[in-house]
Amino acid sequence: MASDSSPGRNNNGPSSPDEFASSPIGNTYSSPATRTRRRRRSTTPLPYNTPPTNQSRFATSESTPTTTPNRTRHHVSTPSSDGGPPLSSDAGDDIDEATPTFVWGTNISVQDVKAAIQMFLKHFRDGQSQGSEIYEEGKYMKGIHEVLEMEGEWLDVDAHDVFDYDVELYGKMVRYPLEVLAIFDIVLMDIVSLIQPLFEKHVQVRIFNLKSSTTMRNLNPSDIEKMLSLKGMIIRCSSIIPEIREAVFKCIVCGYLSDPVVVDRGRISEPTACLKQECLAKNSMALVHNRCRFADKQIVRLQETPDEIPDGGTPHTVSLLMHDKLVDAGKPGDRIEVTGIYRAMSVRVGPTQRTVKSLFKTYVDCLHIKKTDKSRMLAEDPMEVDNGNASRRIEEDFHFDEAKIEQLKKLSRLPDIYDRLTRSLAPNIWELDDVKRGLLCQLFGGNALKLPSGASFRGDINILLVGDPGTSKSQLLQYIHKLSSRGIYTSGRGSSAVGLTAYVSKDPETGETVLESGALVLSDRGICCIDEFDKMSENARSMLHEVMEQQTVSIAKAGIIASLNARTSVLACANPIGSRYNPRLSVIDNIHLPPTLLSRFDLIYLILDKADEQTDRHLAKHIVSLHFENPESAVHDVLDIATLTAYVSYARKYIQPQLSDEAAEELTRGYVEMRRRGNFPGSSKKVITATPRQLESLIRLSEALARIRFSELVEKHDVIEAFRLLEVAMQQSATDHSTGTIDMDLITTGVSASERMRRENLASAARSIITEKMQLEGPSTRLLELLDELKKQSSFAEVHLHDLRNAVATLASEGFVVLHGDSVKRV
Amino acid sequence: MVGPMYDFVANPLGAVRLTFDKTIGSGSDPSSFDGKDWGAVDLFRHFLFDQARLSQVPILNGATINWIKPNTLVRFRGMIQDMMGNELYVGAYKDGSVWRTNKFMDISQCPVELNSPDMRLWERRLLYCVPVPGLNSWAESTSEGAVNMCMDSTSEQRDKRRRMDIEAVDHNDFPVSGDESEDSPSVKRMREDPSSSQYLGPKNEGPCSSHVILPDVDRDSLPCLVKIYDSPESELKLNDVFEFVGVLTFDSELPSEKVDQDEFSNGLCDDVSVNLPPNKVPRLHCVIHRKLTAYDFLKNSPPTEPKPHLVKEAREALLRHLTSILGNDGVAAHFMLLHLLSRVHARADNVAVGKLSLNLTCISKETASVFGTKLSIVIKNLLPFTKCIPLTVEYLNSASLAPKKDYQINRLIPGVLQLAEGSHLIFDETCLETGTLNSAGVENARLLKALTELQKVEYDFKYYKMEMMADVQMLILSEGKSNIMPADIIMPFQPSSAGPSDVVPTEVLEAWRWYLATVRSMPHLISPEMQKVVENDLVTARQADRSLGSQDFSRWLTMGRLISASFGETSLSLEHWQMVKELERLRMDRLK
Repeated sequence: MASDSSPGRNNNGPSSPDEFASSPIGNTYSSPATRTRRRRRSTTPLPYNTPPTNQSRFATSESTPTTTPNRTRHHVSTPSSDGGPPLSSDAGDDIDEATPTFVWGTNISVQDVKAAIQMFLKHFRDGQSQGSEIYEEGKYMKGIHEVLEMEGEWLDVDAHDVFDYDVELYGKMVRYPLEVLAIFDIVLMDIVSLIQPLFEKHVQVRIFNLKSSTTMRNLNPSDIEKMLSLKGMIIRCSSIIPEIREAVFKCIVCGYLSDPVVVDRGRISEPTACLKQECLAKNSMALVHNRCRFADKQIVRLQETPDEIPDGGTPHTVSLLMHDKLVDAGKPGDRIEVTGIYRAMSVRVGPTQRTVKSLFKTYVDCLHIKKTDKSRMLAEDPMEVDNGNASRRIEEDFHFDEAKIEQLKKLSRLPDIYDRLTRSLAPNIWELDDVKRGLLCQLFGGNALKLPSGASFRGDINILLVGDPGTSKSQLLQYIHKLSSRGIYTSGRGSSAVGLTAYVSKDPETGETVLESGALVLSDRGICCIDEFDKMSENARSMLHEVMEQQTVSIAKAGIIASLNARTSVLACANPIGSRYNPRLSVIDNIHLPPTLLSRFDLIYLILDKADEQTDRHLAKHIVSLHFENPESAVHDVLDIATLTAYVSYARKYIQPQLSDEAAEELTRGYVEMRRRGNFPGSSKKVITATPRQLESLIRLSEALARIRFSELVEKHDVIEAFRLLEVAMQQSATDHSTGTIDMDLITTGVSASERMRRENLASAARSIITEKMQLEGPSTRLLELLDELKKQSSFAEVHLHDLRNAVATLASEGFVVLHGDSVKRV
Repeated sequence: MVGPMYDFVANPLGAVRLTFDKTIGSGSDPSSFDGKDWGAVDLFRHFLFDQARLSQVPILNGATINWIKPNTLVRFRGMIQDMMGNELYVGAYKDGSVWRTNKFMDISQCPVELNSPDMRLWERRLLYCVPVPGLNSWAESTSEGAVNMCMDSTSEQRDKRRRMDIEAVDHNDFPVSGDESEDSPSVKRMREDPSSSQYLGPKNEGPCSSHVILPDVDRDSLPCLVKIYDSPESELKLNDVFEFVGVLTFDSELPSEKVDQDEFSNGLCDDVSVNLPPNKVPRLHCVIHRKLTAYDFLKNSPPTEPKPHLVKEAREALLRHLTSILGNDGVAAHFMLLHLLSRVHARADNVAVGKLSLNLTCISKETASVFGTKLSIVIKNLLPFTKCIPLTVEYLNSASLAPKKDYQINRLIPGVLQLAEGSHLIFDETCLETGTLNSAGVENARLLKALTELQKVEYDFKYYKMEMMADVQMLILSEGKSNIMPADIIMPFQPSSAGPSDVVPTEVLEAWRWYLATVRSMPHLISPEMQKVVENDLVTARQADRSLGSQDFSRWLTMGRLISASFGETSLSLEHWQMVKELERLRMDRLK
């Protein structure tokens, strides 16, 4: 019965029957269209018999009753009238005609299309399987077998495949979808019945993945009756409308059950009298609901996604009509891509009136919907590492077409791509180029490595920005957040430990305990941006230790013991402790963060508001030009955010750089040199200038730098640049202010080597004074007196009280003295 | 284009039809111009602007809707509040062998069917327009020429007349359209059709029908559904203020006919007719639209050339008046003048360049009642769109400031902050007391803050928010520095007298309005030499005081631009730059 899903060309069959109902001259029963179609149908043998329920895929039911005799006749001859009997009688008339039939109004031969579809279905093979398995069945023959096994109701056909196999067929399909799809269905059912003659279900073709998609704004009258694909967001779903397809009536007098009455263009002709010869009671037939057949239908409104809305516009919407299996396939809020046919339907002024409003309502008859979420950079599949085949899904989700890839590759070959990307990152924030380079590396990321032994090394780069207020740290954060694949933006103030990791809650319905992911888990494979890092509670911050190195979150509470993946890069920003950075204090003292946590950041940048005339002049220039010139002209060749996103996504997905021998050598050399730098000739104290963590950071950074160039190989200059980046960051954060050398101890323990030495000296001096002046168990001495004593010695002239207090506290911990408030007592 | 003289105002469709027939007659195929204009618009443009007959076209508003005949030419001034998307209509169809058009009409004269070769589908845009929020009474336009046309008729006569008009339309416009009344069978059929007479039936019911037409609509805020033809999308933007000249159609649809619509058609039918019943919202088929500037709201067309002495005079007088209103606080008056002149003239990323919001502090409840009211009256008299909002905790908690999309009725529900470009808002924070903000209140406070800082309003589209650019002058009256709305300028207000309450003559007010409108729209430049001076000044200032940031610099430059603009000059001079620094110094002294 596939033929009746061939909807009319001239009247679009049942889906827009209004114009018939309301038009006084809507009598096209003699138009060539009908005849042609009749003929066309006659050429298709109907060897199978499917239940009429699944027919007319585009059927809608809101036609109005019309009782003009000629119109009734017209219905009989319309293909959309579902019944078999009138069909066969029609077919009988024309069966001997062998002339080629055409889709009405075109020069498309039905036979040609049919043959083309047959060829396509039988012989199309995937690109990969070609060659080696030439004798294997085509992709869609396999698909049909699968459908038969699963007793499915449709066969998904990738429009790209159609295009690859037969460009002409693709063109016809898009331009005349109603006709071509009907033929498609017929061919499909032919094949199905050949394979399994007893297969009862009606299998339909669902086309998806058209070569081009339209935007809602560009829909115009010329698109009507064409196949198109649209992206958007579902904003409203109607309730499911049961649409009657087959009605059964029962005589209330004699109980006679009528044969099923098939819906004719949305209308059931109710028998006026009992059909039983013995009864013939008038007006006695009542509908038996539970013997009728219904089909599901739903109206969904689709709205443009925010990125397609031009300046100063409001989003457009379009109605979608969903049938059968598509019903409830999407919920409000889902972003979807639909493939369907754009249709129009006239609007009546009133049901009883013949005047038609000169309006047409448009909607899309859906063939296929696909959920998408592409507002952001492509996220790698969360399961990718553990589950190889999941990556296929991603490929479907984010399709880089060839032109795009070519464009990206062309970009990557530019000699200044690194600088260009740096410029494109937050172009409204000037200066801070090295910070931007670091952030760029974070976006691209290094390679995560999992050794067979089970040890794993993270590829994510963590960055901390510390700086004065008003140095656009938060803007940088916001920008990265917008750009990154997935990720959560939180503020340290408002985040709790569980909010960051995971929490257990009781499901209100089932009462079971459920694990809910927190921000870090949710930003797995993305970037978690934490603003106001310094204002975060101690407790919450301690949760980050595990995440930032092991990249998991372990939970053991309420009967749930689990380890969740949290492979996230952390980008945090913090204000110095006295809100302004005090250059006389160390980083640790300034940011007041535990050194253990600090060491987990690959790059720590100090963004300081230095009193630098050059910067001030730059700022002044920038603002003056902002006020007196066209601000757009100030921006020079930068990538727009979409290109940047695509670039980063592509690199993250397809480029997995490996260290070249040369680069590895350079890394070793550089690392050794960094370590050696701490050993001053003639200095007994040991300054650690680099730790293995820094080496790991260096590897990650150089990998990210190679990715930026789309290079599969990490080259020597990547390593050199990585060293430079690390040094720039370290020089700002790990410089020991008293010696001027880089000192990783500052980061790892919070105390620089020279400071530690000074403290030791002070403690021993204090010890000697106490041994000298005070007796065991003697009267206590005030700290201030002790300080005066100490200051008499020339080397401690500038000792502060709190330094002394620290020193005495050290002595107290050794059990040498007891400290009560301000008084010291020797024990 | 010289055709027979028809009455453009009374029968615009006649002109449309005639030009259409002429174009078809000259051998064009309707499909060839695909809904594009065929010369009708030119004809109207010639009539309205070249012959300057615009003032003859009646203005559509709550008062005039009752006597304006349907299918006549009207004007509507309003803000685009919502966009309803596009609509397909039968643009041209073949009636027998003659092509006809439905452009600028609602109802097809002749039923048509989809995809017949005898029909062309064209497209038009739907815009939901409302009178500009906060429009002051002096800026309301009246159409002098047309007002007295029907004013004398009593209500009953009006009804009768209207009724006749409705019927007359069908009869009349064909003869006018070009001597073919005899060969329009569709009209005849329509007339004979019992159903068509039935739809006219209820209209004849009684003298009260004029009240039926617009029962619920506030007379002062008549919305209008404008249908736009042949205009690029980028031309009309949300919140723009336009004057639409077009054909008013009176839809014969009756509310009762909506009842039997099932869910299906409800879902598909664009909710427009359901939620905006045509008997409440008139339809206007726009022929010509033009964006309105502040000039268009001035009563008499003043000299367009900003003559230096006129500008100076107006500036002096206005400043004097502001000073006396502000209780002889000259510094505050200066800032007030700059504030009134400010507008967003450029945007770079997140910075709205040119805004200058003003926060007058040190105003207690008592002083607010004296100066606040006076100030708001003055501003009302000076600017076309103003609003005064007393900010209280309850207000913050209950008001819907941001427009919100209601997907049930598919409409953008307007919020307080959906304002036209150049609107002025006074927030009176003096009545704000301690209290708790609920989630709506917090959201509203956030919106106000974003509006002050970025001149952006987030529209709530339920599934996502969309930022819309705004250009709103904000004046905040508060006791201390406002925390909800961090204004560009914090100005401690120090009045020395209560200020007189003398009435300003209308001519003077008009001169001031003209002054503000003119000066605000002037272009502005800076010479390279001056740019150097300014840059050096900024650098030295920053070297001296590290706490100065880009915001302060921005403020100074905005002030510099506005000061020189207030003198009617188009480039910044050293003298004016010194004035900026002096004003800032005076202000800083007060802040200490």
